[in-house]
Amino acid sequence: MDVLANLGHGFIVALEPLNLFWCFAGVFLGTVVGVMPGLGPAATIAMLLPLTFKMPPTSALIMLAGIYYGAKYGGSTTAILLNVPGESASVVTCLDGYQMARKGRAGAALGIAAIASFIAGTVGVVALMLVAPPLAKFGLAFSSPEYFALMVLGLAMVVLLAGESLVKALLAMLVGLWIAGMGIDLFSDASRFTFGNSEMLDGVDFVIVAIGVFALSEVFANMEQREEGTMLPVPKGLRNLLPTMAELKACRFAFLNGSVVGFIIGVLPGAGSTIASFISYGLEKVVSKHPEKFGTGVPEGVAAPEGANNSETGGALVPLLTLGIPGSGTTAILLAAFVLWGLKPGPLMIQDNPELFWGLVASMYVGNVMLLVLNLPLIPLFAQILKLPSYLLYPIILGISLVGVYTVSSSLFDCYMLAAFGLLGYLMRRLDYPSAPLILGLVLGDAMERALRQSLMMSQGDLGILVSRPISATMLVLAVLLLIMPLFRKFNSWRVRAIEENG
Amino acid sequence: MTLRTSIIMAACAAALAAGPAWAQFKPTKPVEIVVHTGPGGGADVLARFMTQLIEKENLAPVRFQVNNRDGGGGLRAMAYVAEKKGDTHTIAIFTGNWLTNPLVRAEAKFTLKDMQPVARLVLEPAVVAVKADAPFKTMKDFIEAAKKTPGTLKQSGGSQTSRDNVVRQLLMKSTGANWAYISFPGGGERIAALLGGHVNMMVIEPQEAGEHIKAGNMRVIAQVAEKRLAPYPNVPTLKEAGYEIPNVPQVRGVVMPSGVAPDVVAYYEDLFQRMVKTPTWRKYLEDQQFEDGFQKSVELGKFFDTFTNQMREILKEAGTPVVR
Repeated sequence: MDVLANLGHGFIVALEPLNLFWCFAGVFLGTVVGVMPGLGPAATIAMLLPLTFKMPPTSALIMLAGIYYGAKYGGSTTAILLNVPGESASVVTCLDGYQMARKGRAGAALGIAAIASFIAGTVGVVALMLVAPPLAKFGLAFSSPEYFALMVLGLAMVVLLAGESLVKALLAMLVGLWIAGMGIDLFSDASRFTFGNSEMLDGVDFVIVAIGVFALSEVFANMEQREEGTMLPVPKGLRNLLPTMAELKACRFAFLNGSVVGFIIGVLPGAGSTIASFISYGLEKVVSKHPEKFGTGVPEGVAAPEGANNSETGGALVPLLTLGIPGSGTTAILLAAFVLWGLKPGPLMIQDNPELFWGLVASMYVGNVMLLVLNLPLIPLFAQILKLPSYLLYPIILGISLVGVYTVSSSLFDCYMLAAFGLLGYLMRRLDYPSAPLILGLVLGDAMERALRQSLMMSQGDLGILVSRPISATMLVLAVLLLIMPLFRKFNSWRVRAIEENG
Repeated sequence: MTLRTSIIMAACAAALAAGPAWAQFKPTKPVEIVVHTGPGGGADVLARFMTQLIEKENLAPVRFQVNNRDGGGGLRAMAYVAEKKGDTHTIAIFTGNWLTNPLVRAEAKFTLKDMQPVARLVLEPAVVAVKADAPFKTMKDFIEAAKKTPGTLKQSGGSQTSRDNVVRQLLMKSTGANWAYISFPGGGERIAALLGGHVNMMVIEPQEAGEHIKAGNMRVIAQVAEKRLAPYPNVPTLKEAGYEIPNVPQVRGVVMPSGVAPDVVAYYEDLFQRMVKTPTWRKYLEDQQFEDGFQKSVELGKFFDTFTNQMREILKEAGTPVVR
């Protein structure tokens, strides 16, 4: 088959010793970058660009791509161990991953994250290889109405993240939506909620809110206890440091779910890995036999989002390589890199540079294997971090968070905001408001509002555009179903109780 | 005149002629190039290319380093530069954004008047593009269609103050036609909207559209440029097509903090003048389809004033609230 022959050539390129070295360098650096909150693959790739001018483009791309998907592996480490999302996409992993760590299953969580990432990453590469061009066309059919429907579907997931009180979850989500609205409005150029401060013009960076609400609030909450801080239980013995067969078996669907959902969402320019991980998590919860356990530390709750954010990288490369359209910040820099190397990104790029594309694809297989091998043995090492006494651990978390936030835009103002959100997160904890819906509202709010206004501009104000197009109509219906579902469940339990009482 | 006078005059002439080479200022530590976009953005790519070029051609004794200060639509970078008064080792890439943004944003604490112009480098033309299977073969077709169905045709572009919208406002005013403008934050999304058939037209930089045009997905119906670009010899410019509107280039160049001595400015002017003469730069302009718009600081200062006044008028006409 043509594809196999090309892939064969690709492997010949990828397995050259020099390219293997660059691949390893990339994935290793990516993992490190992913672990550190704040510093992301985008900034790292930008910093390394000057280095790549002296390298052949294929090797450079292999390394940069390695950083890109390697960072997704690393992001889960701090999310699981410290409740600090290293990457914006790791926020969802915090939900169940950290809870697993609290129960002494940190090693298992890390292992599942690595395995899910490997499976999904590989599936993503296979899909990139086989269906890139037709999928790119599908991606083009998505426009603002479809994006809006996708975001609404994502927000409907709030219902699934609600926990005990749906009202509190919705309130948190609305606060998230409000924060998302802060800053310059793209369409009218008005400044919203900037309080006259030029630092607020870009709104609030998601990383700051996530780290504040998750990590800092955790530290504050634990500081409340006057006695020696409760340390998280560290599992003893190698067997307890890795996921059990039962846990892996439970994650079967999650692996598939993460891979497919992540890749498809990755193909859509503009939808990111955060949305992919939320939707994958939500989907997993919907099909699960024990949905109420999500949020308390179930392995599927780690496998699905981790898988999704990895296969999303494969998906994001589709519009970049087949059309020259960058889907996210990191792919935008890769696009700039292509231009600086003298390549011409666009529909003809793969045709004109086959060894680049196939070399990259083959190297992604290799890279994913390298990452699995890198990450699994490091798990016991990472898990030992939890052994640190709290008077060491919490200052370290605070330190990493502050530095991480500062690296985003070298702004002290951001650090003040971090403190403010840490306080907010602490208050939310005390008052039992779930924080995941706030993050969800923040992530989706911006894109959703933009998509809605673009859609209305396209239709001259006619809301019908959202339901007259098949894809967006389907997603909206799904969202409505999701929202009505709790009613069904309640109805069902009344029914069951009624039958039992009568029968 | 006497021999002595002649010798003195000759010496003076020689000293004056050797002036630039004897300029007192020379950078002694790495020079920072501030850009207002994140890594990968237009100004960033240009700055990185310049850094590479300066190093390769040994145009300066020190390293140049890009500093990304994105945010606030360029205001963060502007504030950063303006606050570094007197700093001789900081320069910045300005774009048309730096001129227009402070006009509409009350939060802007600084404008280009608070900075020292150094040199204008390039003018970026644009092309008016439609999807390859669209019924519009010329700009006239599009305008006629827009007149028949006011407000139904759609153009994708950036923010309200971007060049895309400025061209649209100028065309709409001069022809009386009316079509909608839909903002997308990223170039990729704008192209996707056009290729997916969700909008009818866009104003786009030629190097961004180049590959799509070559692949046959997009077609150019007019050019926003002073003269026709080499790859599109058969497509008229807007002026040639009969639309009497001022050409709106996307402009990029260099500024630095104010409060620096004239010889510092002269040093950087000279540096960039040498840079734009290199064959590598010429090839870059050709590849990117930029127009060489080199101007030194004095002319650039005048250009700033004319451009700002022009933009102020255009924005007022478009109904955008202007604050300064």
